Amino acid sequence: MLKYLFAKNEDIPSGSAAIFFGFSAIIWFVIGTGLGSFNAAKLAFPDFVTGNEYFAFGHMRQVHVMAVIFGWISMAFAMAMMYITPALGNNKLWSEKLGLWNCFLWNLGLTLGLTVLWAGITSGREYSDFPWPIDLYLATCVFIPLGINVWMTILNRRTQGIYTTNWFFAAATFMVIIVFLIGNLPEFFHLTGLTEAYLTWWFAHNVLGLWITPVAAAIAYYTIPKVTGNPLYSHRIGHLHFWSVVVFYSTPAAHHLMSAPLPEWLKSFASVEGVLILVPAIAFVSNIMLTMQGKWYMFVENIEVRFTVTGCLMAIPLNMQGGFQQTRAINWYIHGTGWIVAHAHLALLGFSTFLEVAAVYYGIQSIMKRKLYSITLANMHFWLLLIGFTTYWVSMTIAGLIQGAGKIYEVPYIDVVIAEHPYMIARWLGGSMVFSGNILWLYNMWMTARKGTVVPQGRLPHELAYER
Amino acid sequence: MAGFREYKIGARLFGLALGGSMTITLFFPSINIASVSSTDIALTKQLEVGRESGFNLDDPWMQGKNKPLGVSLKVDPKTKQPIDGGMQVYVYEKGTSFPSGVMHPRILGEGIQELSVQQGHVNDANKNVGAVFTIAKGLYQGKEYSYIDNLTATKGWTPADVMSVAKDSDVSEAGKGKTMFIREGCWWCHTLLPEETQDWQVFGAPPMLGDFNGESPTAFGSDRKAPDLLHVGSRNSSKEWMMMHFFNPRLVQPHSIMPRFDYLWGKTDADGKKIDFAKWREEYNEYREGKRVSPPDVPSYASNSEIRGLIDWILSLK
Amino acid sequence: MSWNFDKPLRTMCDSATNEADKVLWEKEDLGGITEDNNRLPVPIVLLVILTVITAFAVTFPLWGQRPTAEIYEGYIKAMSNPEVLAAKNDQEAMEKIIQLNKGKGHDGMLERHPVTMDDLRIMKPEMEALMAKGVHMDEYEVVGDHVVMANFEGNKRADGTVIRKQPWWDKGYLIDIFYLSYFFIGVTILIKRLPPSSWQPRHNH
Repeated sequence: MLKYLFAKNEDIPSGSAAIFFGFSAIIWFVIGTGLGSFNAAKLAFPDFVTGNEYFAFGHMRQVHVMAVIFGWISMAFAMAMMYITPALGNNKLWSEKLGLWNCFLWNLGLTLGLTVLWAGITSGREYSDFPWPIDLYLATCVFIPLGINVWMTILNRRTQGIYTTNWFFAAATFMVIIVFLIGNLPEFFHLTGLTEAYLTWWFAHNVLGLWITPVAAAIAYYTIPKVTGNPLYSHRIGHLHFWSVVVFYSTPAAHHLMSAPLPEWLKSFASVEGVLILVPAIAFVSNIMLTMQGKWYMFVENIEVRFTVTGCLMAIPLNMQGGFQQTRAINWYIHGTGWIVAHAHLALLGFSTFLEVAAVYYGIQSIMKRKLYSITLANMHFWLLLIGFTTYWVSMTIAGLIQGAGKIYEVPYIDVVIAEHPYMIARWLGGSMVFSGNILWLYNMWMTARKGTVVPQGRLPHELAYER
Repeated sequence: MAGFREYKIGARLFGLALGGSMTITLFFPSINIASVSSTDIALTKQLEVGRESGFNLDDPWMQGKNKPLGVSLKVDPKTKQPIDGGMQVYVYEKGTSFPSGVMHPRILGEGIQELSVQQGHVNDANKNVGAVFTIAKGLYQGKEYSYIDNLTATKGWTPADVMSVAKDSDVSEAGKGKTMFIREGCWWCHTLLPEETQDWQVFGAPPMLGDFNGESPTAFGSDRKAPDLLHVGSRNSSKEWMMMHFFNPRLVQPHSIMPRFDYLWGKTDADGKKIDFAKWREEYNEYREGKRVSPPDVPSYASNSEIRGLIDWILSLK
Repeated sequence: MSWNFDKPLRTMCDSATNEADKVLWEKEDLGGITEDNNRLPVPIVLLVILTVITAFAVTFPLWGQRPTAEIYEGYIKAMSNPEVLAAKNDQEAMEKIIQLNKGKGHDGMLERHPVTMDDLRIMKPEMEALMAKGVHMDEYEVVGDHVVMANFEGNKRADGTVIRKQPWWDKGYLIDIFYLSYFFIGVTILIKRLPPSSWQPRHNH
């Protein structure tokens, strides 16, 4: 990578930025899920590695969260943007060099940020935990260069039209920059009190709603038509999806604070908007499922389609939960319990991760023109992720319902902790399965790059999946 | 130009949609939130904790620096006459940043702002000298409000005067403790937000709108894996219990899943003797295996240790 | 940008624009990906309508509410009823009180949050003091045996005083109605600027 950082842009092979982002993302995924598994072990067995501040749960939890959000998920997004955006415009990435610098600075900044968080140096604000200099760095050296590369590639496209995926990419990179700069205002300008509390959740909600959800969906809009060869079912539903994300996903921030003293009208507004998150979800799932018409055999045979469709199917329970758990009628019961933790993992490890994994599989194969090294390992990866995640989700949902009941029936808290113990062990096992699946994945992708069979000109890698 | 692929219009509509959403979710609430007046709880908390407890340039390594001391005064520091019923003051030594309410009295709310400026002389507080604050009551337009009183200006009490009459047991390092609370990630499991449910019976009253003015970070927490702590000081005010619980939670609650915070004791105990953690753990393991009848004693903590601040802060959560 | 409002639900473009669109749509290949022009399937439209209705219906705070002091107002008043005073023991008195308050609009809440005579004796002076002040009793809650001010704040009455109860309607819902309307009008116009959905592009021709 270093040799390309100072090379002339023309001398850098196209796709380099995507490859570096792809492997960075996989490595961060291994690190992030490894930390998650370690943390889960500590919740199940509190004396597992103890008495050292660097292995204390309170020092490591945020490192896990930030590593998966800004390492794995966001870098997988960047990888997807680096190869999908130019592909859809029939042109090349505006600047491979900027892309490589972006990747380098991103890894550098994230490593620094996570180290600082690990030491406990934090803003104390969930999801915007990074101290404000790191936030500024992430905005200026990570998201703004990424946005510029995406926007310039789209502006220099060789088509008249812009495909749906690229609307989402261009809009989401813009929105995440705005969200970063506004969501961290309390840290930049010493804002306090309810302003700080509300902006914390405004940031947290919007980073999920205007960055992770739309970009993940946009990736599926590419993967499914591309791999199946079907036309996207409806340009119109694409409109409904895009506009409802911008309009409805950007508004319900206050529903994270339904039990906090915010103005009641704001909660009323936010909870209606929160249910309306189902509108983009309905549009997205229906569009993808209808695009699959006639190609459902690929759900079984093709690894990318299997990951993507599984991710899309997970969007259904995800949004049913997300839409209704935030209403006053339900929130009082499950707020602050493991139910929410399960929901957050359904969003990030279920829905979104499955879509990105497909994009990374497809991207690495198509850019390097190499066939997947081992389809068996890929299948194992899929099942370890799916079974591991499901174990996690089921156990945390049950634990959350126990906590909710404990809260409402005034059970002494320690009895809730005791009742949750088996589910904490199940959670740890599930998390560890995901972690081990990812190690296999890293190996598989590394070997694909090194030893994968070369895909001949004019063929797509997945067409050769079962050929020797 | 074709009718579909109207990207200029699309871009404008996008701006309109996002702008509209931000107007409703940021601008409208900001009008309401700005008009919220500080409650007594908010005044106490900001004086007790001072400026931000998260990362800030005054305390970049989050060691609990740049924080005030809470002092319960028993005698007048000037006249040395006993004060009837005692008095709670907050000492900002030279160089310590003042809380947001002193820097920007506007956030205190109507009445409180005017009283704090006119009668409390908070604008006269000087960081290079330090200041002593307390909460006083006064009348503004016929209504009674609590306000911040800058005792350095109104009574001439300097930080040094106050500290000269305060014993260590009268001093609370709650401000430092809040930094520890944030740094150690206590809020990942312990929320600071009893909810409007049966929570109220167990963990105490949910906070009101004005309880947070001047506080940062609010650290409500979202993932409750342990009891809510907003009113923990009212439920349990035993320093000894806290000490054992922090050193090894399993000493007082065998089923607890809380991490051990023994490392907050630092290297030496209250008597300046080196703490032998390895020996303690060994003896504790023997106790767990049934080879000892009782667990080893928890070392006493030094008065400048990090755990002291944390315990002071936890006990201040009334 | 040529508008045609003859059949706004079919298309809002004139035929020349639509023809140009169709040519472009069929000609273009965006990185090997093509798009169809299918309409929103009827079940999807129905689901979206259902979502909007549900969004309002489900967010009114009808469930999960703590008992407000208002529901016990009748109990407190009934305590000085001669029939109750004549009761032999607390149990009988409580039964009498419950019976006297049946059908006054709070039956469901009272059933879910029962109290004993001992509770009522503690609550009585607190409630009476509040009732004498003429405050809105639905802004107070009963926590254990005590009557405490609720913390649902932020909405105001016309006279500027603060309302402290969960709203069934407030300006938040009103903003929602306007916001939603703008969205659906905007998206409908956008979609109707496309060639009518009766036309489908023939790809790869």
